[in-house]
Formats: sequence, C-alpha cells, structure tokens
Amino acid sequence: MPKLLLLVAFSVVFTVSAQAKLLKTTEFTLNNGMPVVVIENHKAPIVKHMVWYKIGAADEAYGKGGVAHLLEHLMFRGTHGVSDGEFNRWMNELGAESNAFTGHDVTVYHQFADISKLEALMALEADRMQNLAFDKKAFEAEQKIVYQERKQVVENNPSSAFYERMNLLLWGNSPYGQPVTGQNDEIMALTYEDARDFYTKYYAPNNAILILSGDIEPALAKKLAEKYYGKLPLGQIEHIAPEEVASSFAETLEMALPDVKTPRAIWQYLLPNHESLQDAVYNYEVLAEYLGGGETSALYRDLVVEQQSAVTVTADFHYVTRGNGVFKFQLIPDAKELTDKTLIQENMLAALEDAIANLTEAKLEKVKRKMLADLVYVNDNPNDAAYWVGYMMANGFSLEDVENYADKIKNVSLDGVQKAYENLLKAPVVFGLLLPENLKGNN
Amino acid sequence: MSRRSHKGFGYYMRQIFICALLIVCALYIGAHIYIQKQIVPVSNILENSVLKDRKFDAKVKEIHANDMSAYFLEEHSNPIISVRFLFQNAGFAYEPEDKQGVSTLLAEVLLAGGGEYDAEQFKDICAEYGIKLEFSSDTDNFSGVLQFPSEYKEIAVKIFQSAFYRPNYEENYFNLAKSQQLTVLRMQQENPDKILNEEFKQFIFAGHPYERNALGQIEIVENLTIEDVESYRQTKFAQNNLLIGLAGDLTLDEASELLNEIFSSLPEKSDGEKFVPLSLETSGAEKSVERNSAQAVVKFAVQGTFRDSVDFYPLYMANSVFGASGLTSRLNKVIREEKGLTYGIYTYMTISDAAALIEGSFSATPENFDTAKQLLLEEWQKLGENGVSEEELEQAKKSLISAYNLRFAEIDSIASMLLAMQKYNLGIDFLDKRNDYISEVSLQEVNAAAKKYFKTMPDMVYIGTLPKIKEKE
Repeated sequence: MPKLLLLVAFSVVFTVSAQAKLLKTTEFTLNNGMPVVVIENHKAPIVKHMVWYKIGAADEAYGKGGVAHLLEHLMFRGTHGVSDGEFNRWMNELGAESNAFTGHDVTVYHQFADISKLEALMALEADRMQNLAFDKKAFEAEQKIVYQERKQVVENNPSSAFYERMNLLLWGNSPYGQPVTGQNDEIMALTYEDARDFYTKYYAPNNAILILSGDIEPALAKKLAEKYYGKLPLGQIEHIAPEEVASSFAETLEMALPDVKTPRAIWQYLLPNHESLQDAVYNYEVLAEYLGGGETSALYRDLVVEQQSAVTVTADFHYVTRGNGVFKFQLIPDAKELTDKTLIQENMLAALEDAIANLTEAKLEKVKRKMLADLVYVNDNPNDAAYWVGYMMANGFSLEDVENYADKIKNVSLDGVQKAYENLLKAPVVFGLLLPENLKGNN
Repeated sequence: MSRRSHKGFGYYMRQIFICALLIVCALYIGAHIYIQKQIVPVSNILENSVLKDRKFDAKVKEIHANDMSAYFLEEHSNPIISVRFLFQNAGFAYEPEDKQGVSTLLAEVLLAGGGEYDAEQFKDICAEYGIKLEFSSDTDNFSGVLQFPSEYKEIAVKIFQSAFYRPNYEENYFNLAKSQQLTVLRMQQENPDKILNEEFKQFIFAGHPYERNALGQIEIVENLTIEDVESYRQTKFAQNNLLIGLAGDLTLDEASELLNEIFSSLPEKSDGEKFVPLSLETSGAEKSVERNSAQAVVKFAVQGTFRDSVDFYPLYMANSVFGASGLTSRLNKVIREEKGLTYGIYTYMTISDAAALIEGSFSATPENFDTAKQLLLEEWQKLGENGVSEEELEQAKKSLISAYNLRFAEIDSIASMLLAMQKYNLGIDFLDKRNDYISEVSLQEVNAAAKKYFKTMPDMVYIGTLPKIKEKE
C-alpha cells in the first residue's frame, strides 16, 4: 500500500569486495527519451519493476504541501481503461508486492513479482503514467486516507513535532523544510484539480527512470520496455529551482515534550548539493563513517564505550538528493546530568576534535575496508540493487557513479577527510535537544 | 433546367445513407482505436507473454553432523553463506520470572567478543570482513544468524565460536548493553503502538509468561548480572533443542563440515520443556488505555489454529480474503478504500508454541474510530456467517501461488525459510508440495473454517481516547 518515505535518508549500507564490476547493469534510452537500467540477477525467476519519477514534495507550490504524496495514492485509483480497484486486484492476483512512496526528490512506484508477470506489470504501470482517471469520490477518500496516514505515521509519535521543527529551522523557506505529507490544513485544502495538474505537469516518460532488477536479459528488457513505455508521449518538464538556503547560521532548538521519555540531541549541517561537491561527497561520506558509522566508529568508542556519557551516537551524510546535502549527528545522552545543552555540545566538539586529531592513514584504510566489505551483499536481493541504482540516478548521479562507488571510496585521502571536517564546522548548523517534560527543570 | 433537377429523392437518400454509413464506420473505427488505446488487456498479455513460468530449482537436502541435522540449500549465484538457527524453549517466555529480560541482554552481550578477541577486535573483524552475526530472543526461541562472504568462512567460524562458546563479558560492554536495553524499554513508553503491544499481551495472556515484555522490566534489568546471562547461556542451548537452516555458496560436504564446526561443541541436552497449548476463549471483551494521541489504536484477536492443524490452510485462505491481502482485503476495501477512515487495517495469523491467534489492528482519529470499528465487526460477522465466495477464493489462490518464487529473493531469507520448515514440521519436500496445498483447499473447507474461527467476536484492546468498553468477565 502507498507508504511514504519521510526523509529516511537512504543510508548507503552496501558495502563489495571490489575487484569485479559491482552490479551486472545495462543502460539504454527508449525512443521517447525514457532511461532504462537493467540489473541482472538470475538466482530466482523474479523481478523488481520500478518507475522513479524525478518529482516529489520539493516541487510542490507554496501552500500545496502534500500534493505529490496524495497523487501517489491516487495513482492506485483507476485509469481510463482500468477501473478503480482493478489495479490493486491485478497486483493481488499476480502475486506482486506492489507499493509506492514519496520523498522530497522522488515519487516511486514499484512491484516485486514472479518474472512471468513482468509484461502485465509493465502494461499496467505504463497505462497509469498516461491515462490516470480517478474520480471525485476516490479523490475524497484518498484525501482522508493521507490525512489519517499523517496522524498515524507522524503525529502518533510524540517526538515528530521536534524533528519537524528542526527541519523548519534548518531549511527556512525551502520546501525541503516541509513534511512530505504536507501540513494537516494543506492536505484538507488540496483539490481534485491540484492533483490532476501535478499529474499532467510531471508524469511523463522523460521525467522518469525505469529499473528492472532480476531474472531478465537486457535485450528482452529493451524489447519489452519499447513495447510498453516507448510509445508514451513526452512531457514538458520544468522543475522549480529550489530556494537558495541561507549560507551562514547557527541555531539552537530546545524542546520539552510530554510523552517523551528519553532525551535526544541532534546536529544537522547544511552542505552544498552533490553536483557542486563532486567527488568531495565521498570525503564527507567516509568522514561520517569514521566518526559515527556503527559500533566501531570513533565517536561511539569514545562517548558510548569509554565515557559512557551516551547510549548511542551516529553520524551520516545524506547526499543522494537534488537539494542540499545534510550531515547529521544523533546522540542519546546516558544520564540526566548530561542534558545541559552547553555541556552536550562541548562534549561533542571535544570528541570530534580528538577523533580528527587521531585519524591516521592506517585508520582511514580500515574505515574504507569496512565500507567496502558489505558490497558483496548488494548482488544478493534484486530489491536492494534496484533501490540503490534508482536513488542515485533519480537524483542526478550516473550509472558510472554507482559502478565506480568502490573506487570513489578507495580514492578518498586523509587530507580530503580532514578538509571535509574543517568545512563541516563552517557550515550552517542547527543543534536540537529534545527533553522529556520532567527533565526540563534540571537545566 | 438546373442540374439539380436530375438529382431526385433517391439520390439524396443514397447520399444520406452513405454519409450515415461513413459516420457509423468512423464511430466504429474510432471506438475501436479508443478501446485499443485505453483498455489494458492483462489476461491477454499474460497469456501471450514471452516470459513464461519458471521454477526456482530448490533441492533442499538434509545434512548431518554428530547427532545434529539441518536443512541445506546449495546456491552459488553469489559468494555468500547464511546460517540461521534457533534454540527451542529458550525465548523470553522461558526465562526465570525474576530474571526477565536476561535473554535479550545475552543476545547483545554475546557480540562483545570472546576467547582471544576483545570487544573492539571482535567488532572490527566483523565489520572489515562483512561478517554479520546477530542473536535475538522471541517468545519461544533464542535465534541467531551468521552470514558471511564465502571466502571468509574460516574467520567467520572462529568469530562465532569465540562469541558463542567463550564470551568475555567485558564489564563496560556489559553495562552498556544494559543501559541500552533500559533506554529502549523507556522509549517503548513513548510510542502508542508499542504500549499497546504490551497491554495487548497482558490482556490476552494474563498470568501466562507470554504476557511478558521481551526486554524485561526496568527494575529487573537494572539488577541483572554477568552471572545471570552466563547461567542462561549454559542451561538453554544444546543439540537437542537446536534447529538449523543453511543456504548459499558451499557444497554438501562443506555444509556438513560447517555444521560440525559451529555446533558440535554444544552439550547434548538442555533443560526446558515446551508450554502446553493454551485455549484462548475470546468473548468480545474490551480494555482501554487512556492516552493523549492523534489517533486511537486498537489490537484485536480471537483463537486461531496451529500450523499442523487440518484447519490451517482453510483458515489461512479465509483470513487472506478477510484482512491479510493488503489493499484488496475485504476490510481495507470497506474501511480504507471506500470510506477513507483509516490508513490501513490488517489481520494476520500468529503461531507460537502454546498459542495460535488471528490478530488484527488499525488506527484512526477519534471521530472516525467508532464507525471503523462498527464496520470491522459487521465484516467479522459476515465472514463468520457466510464465509467467502468461490471467486474470492480463486483470487486468493492465484495470488499465493503466483508469489511462490519471491521467497528465493536472497540467501538469508532462504536460510530462514529452511529453518521455519523444521520449526513447523513441514517436511523436507514442503517446497514441492506448497502450491498443491494451496490449490487443493476447497470452498467448503474455507467456509467451515471461517464459521468455526469467526463465530465469536474478538477481544479488543485500545489506546488513545476512550471508546465505551465492555469489560472482560
């Protein structure tokens, strides 16, 4: 069922022994300009079929928050030739795991199914790229459903208010600061025409990428893709250029909420987009891995294992996006006395300085080995490879970038990581501290 | 005379006729083109597809070492190996009452090194070689997975042996694991779904160890010691309560050898006996937990059936039509798709050693909640009285049979499946028979099961704003 992906940054967990080609991929473009990537995996007769639209919540007009996500739901509600309910009935009958999700950058429709069903899936997916025809009744039902979805997935969780507030502070007027679901009043104010317009404007083969991952030969994949997607007419796509994000600020957010039982601290740094960073993105990625990539990372060993001042700490760098990159630290303090915001920040900075001062060539090589070790698993489940390639390509990376991932990581130098750290500290930052209501008085 | 005079009535009639004919033809052709363009002839496409049914060649073998056996599937498409295993009667419900949470704590501290490896070395090696070792404790079983690239088999075996047979229990890692478990216990209290899960177990299994929290209780966990986890390790794990599923890039002989290397140091016998199956009589009783939240959430359940019961497949099919087939289930069609009352409503069958349930859940804002609940109960009653239709059953069968090959998506999920086949005594030829089990179920059997299991109304536990409730007797 349509679910949304709330900025759950696609943390690249794939890590390959890097001698051979990472994935068995073939790339081609259909006559109408639609790019296709085939990822072969012949273990079992199954396939992941995905259409990635390079459109998402970041492309919504002011006040129309949630329209990309609502449209994603409406894509299941019938076309001129497939009545409401028929699409889902077919997915069920075909034994396909069918779903979709919306993010700030992309809207993605996908099925995982037996290979013998692929042609039917392609026909149905191509049909709804062009012939969508939901009625007013379906529109009203889905509007209520996405409203319930926001209540269930976001608002039932007491800490979401804090994370949504953080995003507003970090992004200012940028649509990346707004929730993918839209605000409650925005959702309920969306109209049938809003959804139709968004569809007409952005759903076309030249704004999408087709990924076929599994038991399929490239030559046959090409023939079938031309047959089902190749005749769809081109769209005229204009992306709204994202707002410039302020270049220098340091903000703090402290919030105490009822029903929150454990404090959390979070630092978010706004970095340039990957297109301006170029290969420097990998410096930041290695930096994040060294500092906070799991239990073997520098910050974890210092703050969690040695000092036991935190129960956990992580770092990650989200750069597979059309917008700015975001470098993030998240920490759960271990004791009540450590919830003073100045103390937490001083402690973190000291740990960071130590970690960078102690970084040697040998340690760097070890970090890289860890990052590459898991890449062997990316060839296992056709789903994983499809997601990875899809995310990268829909956000402006090339297939070569994916294929060369291991080399890009290997080429990261000590100097590069140190520079990344220096730049990180100069970047705009928001520090947030979430406290249980009963702890607030302690500061 | 104008030329016109030559064109009499018949001429005009012919003209009109030709025009009409042309219009009809145009309409016909137009409609034909229109239909060609619009309708997606799915059945036709399937029939004529160049992609035909292919079967994954699943030759499951039984392998042996000492007195132990395991199910094994050889699969060389990717150079990785996965070993899934579980110890029966060693899950959290089998913990001593005053040591609740000890098995989950053990699962974590076993990953802090052993033998010649201190915790740091241990974790470094796992990360650098892509070795994934994890333990966990569910209601009945203590389970684990060891997955690794086949070229690092030797080191993976060493890693496993040191962790599992010679744990070091370094003190700072032990304390850390404890404070992490306590943190997660506290965070459970933030989330209505998690609070509801615990409240639900306490309501349904009142007085039985199945009501426990897998993570234990704060006051007990705070006092757990290294001796407690070590005593659990020494008494709960043996060859006689071990099940193993093994898949991936190794031969039959290598698999037996691996089995031997990993598990032959285990003692022969463990203590612990299976719980006696519970009979759970539900009566439509309700319980509410008050809490301020955006939505009210409910979990409901009635008695289900065990995996080896003749009712299993019939009930499985009935439940699939009712609430387990995603957006096409009866419940989602009525409550979500038509009315937009909830983001989703589901039912599912749960089976543990001593309890089999049909459970379900949904959440909705307070103004929608009662309507959604009413519709659920109406559908419940309808299923109990009338069962499902022939068409619904056929659709469910097609769906489950078509999805058969998806289980082979990854080496690790294959190993899990091999383990489940043993856990539920499905037999080594289960994969060959599975689609027949589905297709042979008759409408009469399905509807008899629907009548039997959906005749009583489910017990319900809510969290959120309080609906009116009917207390349990």
